[in-house]
Amino acid sequence: MAEELRFEGKVAIVTGAGGGLGRAHALLLASRGAKLVVNDLGGGRHGGGKSSAAADQVVTDIKAAGGEAVANYDSVEDGAKIVQNALDAFGRVDIVVNNAGVLRDQSFRKMTEEDWEVIYRVHVLGGFRVTHAAWPHLIEQGYGRVIMTASAAGIYGNFGQANYAMAKLGLVGFAQTLALEGKKKNVLVNAIAPLAGSRLTETVMPKELLDVLKPELVSPLVAWLCHERCEETGGLFEVGGGFVGKLRWERAEGQSFRLSRPMTIEGVAKAFPTIVDFSRSTHPTDLTQSMGPVLANLPTAKGKGGNDFIDVDLALGHELTPEPSSYDERDLALYALAVGAAKDPLDPSQLKYVYEMAGEGFSALPTYGVIPAVNALVKMTASGQQAPGIHYGFERVLHGEQYLEIKRPLPTAAKLTHKAKIKDIFDKGKNALVVTAITSFDEKGREVVYNEVTTFVRGAGGWGGDRGPVQDVNVPPERAPDAVFEEKIPANAALLYRLTGDINPLHADPAFAKNFGFQRPILHGLCTFGYAARHVLEAFAGGDARLFKSIKVRFADSVFPGETLKTEMWRESKTRVVLRTSVVERSKVCLSNAAVELFDEPLVPRADKAAAPAAAAGAPAAASAASPSREVFAAITAYVAAHPELVGKTQSLFGFQLSEPDSAWTLDLATGAGSVTEGAPGKSDATFVMADADFLAMVRGEADAQKLYFGGKLKIKGNMMAAQKLSFLRDAAKEAQGKPAAATAAAPAAAAPPAPKADKPAPKAVAPAIFGALEKRLAAGPAPAGVEGAVFQFTVTEPDASFVVDFSKAPGAVRSGKADAPTVTVRVTDADLVSLAKSEVTPAQAFQQGKIRVTGQSLLAHALGFLAGLA
Amino acid sequence: MSRRAYVIGVGMIKFAKPGASEDYWEMGSKAAKAALADAGVPYADVEQAMVGYVYGESTCGQRAVYEVGLTGIPVVNVNNNCSTGSTALWLARQAIAGGEAECVLALGFEKMEKGALGSKYNDRAIPVEKHAGVMAKVQGFTSAPAAAQMFGGAGREYMWKYGTKRETFGKISEKARRHAANNPYALFAEPLTLDEIMAAPEVFDPLTRYQCCPPTCGAAAAIVCSEDFAKKHGKAGAVYIAAQAMTTDYASTFAEDSMMKMVGYDMTANAARRVYEQAGVGPADVDVVELHDCFTANELITYEGLGLCPEGGAEKFIWEGQNTYGGKVVTNPSGGLLSKGHPLGATGLAQCTELVWQLRGQAEKRQVKGAKVALQHNLGLGGACVVTMYRRD
Repeated sequence: MAEELRFEGKVAIVTGAGGGLGRAHALLLASRGAKLVVNDLGGGRHGGGKSSAAADQVVTDIKAAGGEAVANYDSVEDGAKIVQNALDAFGRVDIVVNNAGVLRDQSFRKMTEEDWEVIYRVHVLGGFRVTHAAWPHLIEQGYGRVIMTASAAGIYGNFGQANYAMAKLGLVGFAQTLALEGKKKNVLVNAIAPLAGSRLTETVMPKELLDVLKPELVSPLVAWLCHERCEETGGLFEVGGGFVGKLRWERAEGQSFRLSRPMTIEGVAKAFPTIVDFSRSTHPTDLTQSMGPVLANLPTAKGKGGNDFIDVDLALGHELTPEPSSYDERDLALYALAVGAAKDPLDPSQLKYVYEMAGEGFSALPTYGVIPAVNALVKMTASGQQAPGIHYGFERVLHGEQYLEIKRPLPTAAKLTHKAKIKDIFDKGKNALVVTAITSFDEKGREVVYNEVTTFVRGAGGWGGDRGPVQDVNVPPERAPDAVFEEKIPANAALLYRLTGDINPLHADPAFAKNFGFQRPILHGLCTFGYAARHVLEAFAGGDARLFKSIKVRFADSVFPGETLKTEMWRESKTRVVLRTSVVERSKVCLSNAAVELFDEPLVPRADKAAAPAAAAGAPAAASAASPSREVFAAITAYVAAHPELVGKTQSLFGFQLSEPDSAWTLDLATGAGSVTEGAPGKSDATFVMADADFLAMVRGEADAQKLYFGGKLKIKGNMMAAQKLSFLRDAAKEAQGKPAAATAAAPAAAAPPAPKADKPAPKAVAPAIFGALEKRLAAGPAPAGVEGAVFQFTVTEPDASFVVDFSKAPGAVRSGKADAPTVTVRVTDADLVSLAKSEVTPAQAFQQGKIRVTGQSLLAHALGFLAGLA
Repeated sequence: MSRRAYVIGVGMIKFAKPGASEDYWEMGSKAAKAALADAGVPYADVEQAMVGYVYGESTCGQRAVYEVGLTGIPVVNVNNNCSTGSTALWLARQAIAGGEAECVLALGFEKMEKGALGSKYNDRAIPVEKHAGVMAKVQGFTSAPAAAQMFGGAGREYMWKYGTKRETFGKISEKARRHAANNPYALFAEPLTLDEIMAAPEVFDPLTRYQCCPPTCGAAAAIVCSEDFAKKHGKAGAVYIAAQAMTTDYASTFAEDSMMKMVGYDMTANAARRVYEQAGVGPADVDVVELHDCFTANELITYEGLGLCPEGGAEKFIWEGQNTYGGKVVTNPSGGLLSKGHPLGATGLAQCTELVWQLRGQAEKRQVKGAKVALQHNLGLGGACVVTMYRRD
């Protein structure tokens, strides 16, 4: 349907059509069937004189070629006459090409107001008058095309053409607005910035260039923009010498200033490199897009406020760099002593918090959970980490409130990672409250404790911000307390407690304390906190640390070592105890608005739950009694004893670190006759980190070690090659199954109910094996056909796994994980992957059946035959 | 030499969602009256009526036509699944062409229920069971609506063959909605962005919800007459049917384990080829097309079946915008089945109505400028395909 673009029945006005560009436009439009009004004043290029010759000649040329045209000699300043001429001659007007122009080039210093005025009148006022007269006709008939002739001089500036540049760019803005107003009525308006040798340019350009810059190389664009098929409007085009290209605006990403702060000169100067940086730019095309950054700035710009001490917008939500720490039995025992535990060294319920070999099983006092977290926060701050927008010193800070929640039972030794974040900032009028949340994770990334440290910042409030919760919480009821504990604090308690980490001299140095207005060193608030928590545990949880869920206190006043604490407790529900602790000697409340939450039943790691009743019923209470693997290790013990040759063959020491439930084992096949012991080895050749259930599945031959490893379910620390010597584990498990009585007889858990089974057996992943086999196949070569350079991302589901098959380098590589920029992504379930690998379905069938879902360069899926035969 | 058939009057009512429409006879009689008014012909001049609908008891056609007049003329009830409307039109043209009548009414209506198409009679073989058998063999069954599985499966086959992006199908819906925005008769006239279409719930990969035509109620009609009749009524310059062909399934539907063939690709291709031969005008000369976009996947494969683009070229054709205003040919300026709705019996005559308006230059905002040659494609599973070329000299 490539037909000639025609203008039949259309009437076009071209101003300044006596020569140059205008003449070329007129001739071209007329040659395609348009009826022309050829306007030319016949003046000189500087605007003087008047003659009809130029226009007449063009009309003659048009008619000679079989076209229709009339000449018009009016000035564009009499635009209405020109339009009337079209209506009189042809009864309508469809196309207006504003082309007429004059020059009054002059350096700005010499430019007169008349120079400025003439240019304005011809280009701008003339363009206005012609277009304005034609506009109602165009709008009413629902069809019109208007061209404004702009210039590169207006877009970029040009020496000696201040007046001309003003006019030309003015026309661009003029066109943009008309484009908006005309669009609905199919009146389309565009501007061109032509480069052509014409009456206006012949004096300033060399001949060679003028030869290339023929007007005929501009007119086809003008004609297309005037054609009914063209839907472009509001465009600006550079055209000439055979080149045509559209221009658009570009805006730097820029800088949005916060409106809640004064916007300063310095701020602008500082942001200036960003203000002028186009590396992340946008191309706004209308006022809405122009307003975009301002509108985007509004919600945040208002801000949450702040002052010289605190900039809430900057500080709130800031996360500090995570800090690691570790603790062991010694730290737990020291803490327990420091908060008054085991004052009766014969009380076994207390001894378990301080004596690591305690018969009942050593455990942590739950409030120890604040120690590593708060110490880590102090360390972050001491190492210079500070949230942005925080500008107050330690001297203003008081520990206002503390919240601690136990998420998992505290292990007796742990390596933790603490993540701290400014959670809330409240304006309390004169003062401010800053709440820092600290979440502590164990090495498996599981949340162990959660703390909130509320600091009271003296004199830092008053910006009129969020006041935070105003209702007093944990207010003791009117009735008498359900339990009251009194306990005298040793005079040296602070000196002991400081060894748990808070070494502020305020708690040790009499002179220092005096300078702060205290008659002598004061007790740590968190020490009092530890005492009070202990009181609740004793009163309502029978001293069972596993029932402790959380505690919240407000530090109301200081306590001096040697004073007596009285904790009054009200049991508000089965699991909630409100408390208040005061100093007996001075009748001062030191902990207020405080409460402890208890668990309904002891908190144990999730996988332990099924075993807990057995433990409660009096079964042996060893920590790992519930580990289903215990039986297996008993069998391994027997197997090792029966096969003394293993040590000579293996000469390795293995560790097993199992989870859910946690247990650790050492398999020593390096020394003596070999042995199996519970507990982690000091040093091993290889340590296996995996879930208890996976370990069982592995030794029973239900899961392949290689698959577990590829699936990320088995981690091996140390020498992976040594791991291959463990194949005998299966034999051990088999022997155990063959002689169940003998094997389980050795297991202490034999009397306990059957080991808990996982709710749903996890589907066994075959994908790792398939990709393992693919890796070998690729290494053996040759590479499959048609995949050169492609990177396949396999997203395997049920169970989830990701593999990358990378053919960017011969012969191709296989790895687990995700590719940055895969060429093609294939989503498939583990089971369907097996079908493909077994050639039960072709890739095409799998695709048709929806078994593989392909994105990216999906034709590459045709090459998935490379999976065939891998299972 | 058979006689040329003219379409001197067309009419339709605005389509409605199930539950929101009038009863079938009201919709049908209104469309018939609109077509008669458009033609400027009294009902007394109508010699036969071909009336299409899929869902309803027998003789619904009479019930609707009797509202227009009781002149004792032959009324034929037509049922050909989704191509019912154009089958009625095909019968009308045949009556004119064979000299059996001078003026015939082709009418189609449908009152549909909510939800995807299903079968009504479950004590007997379902007519598309052989088609379903092909699908079961090739891709099995899922819980998705059956039609979506069939046409979606054809889409998958095409994707596999040519590596087509999912967005390419979505793009068709985007175009359909854009066109529908200018059609006061369209049920879904709000434009949708490609992102919205792609983000909609998946019905059957690659089809999202916005790529499946909805059940709809509506009616449309055409007055078809001979050249003499047209001249006598001052309609010498009216739109005429330059060529028309109906096909049903070929062996390939069942023999090739191909979902594209199963949903009627060869019916389309053969009907189109015969139409081009009869008319002596090829696909390159077509200005505007109304084609059967029950699902985006079917519009895509139909581009190739009708020869609007080369085989394997649909993706390029779509992304270059060759299927819309400014491109090679405007497809479904009405918004198609996707946006206008798909009342099974009415669709073929609604397509006819749109194309007649286009050739007359009466399509207002959605007018394809200078449209001289128009092509209609209406397809039903089971199966039947009617391709019609209209011209106006």
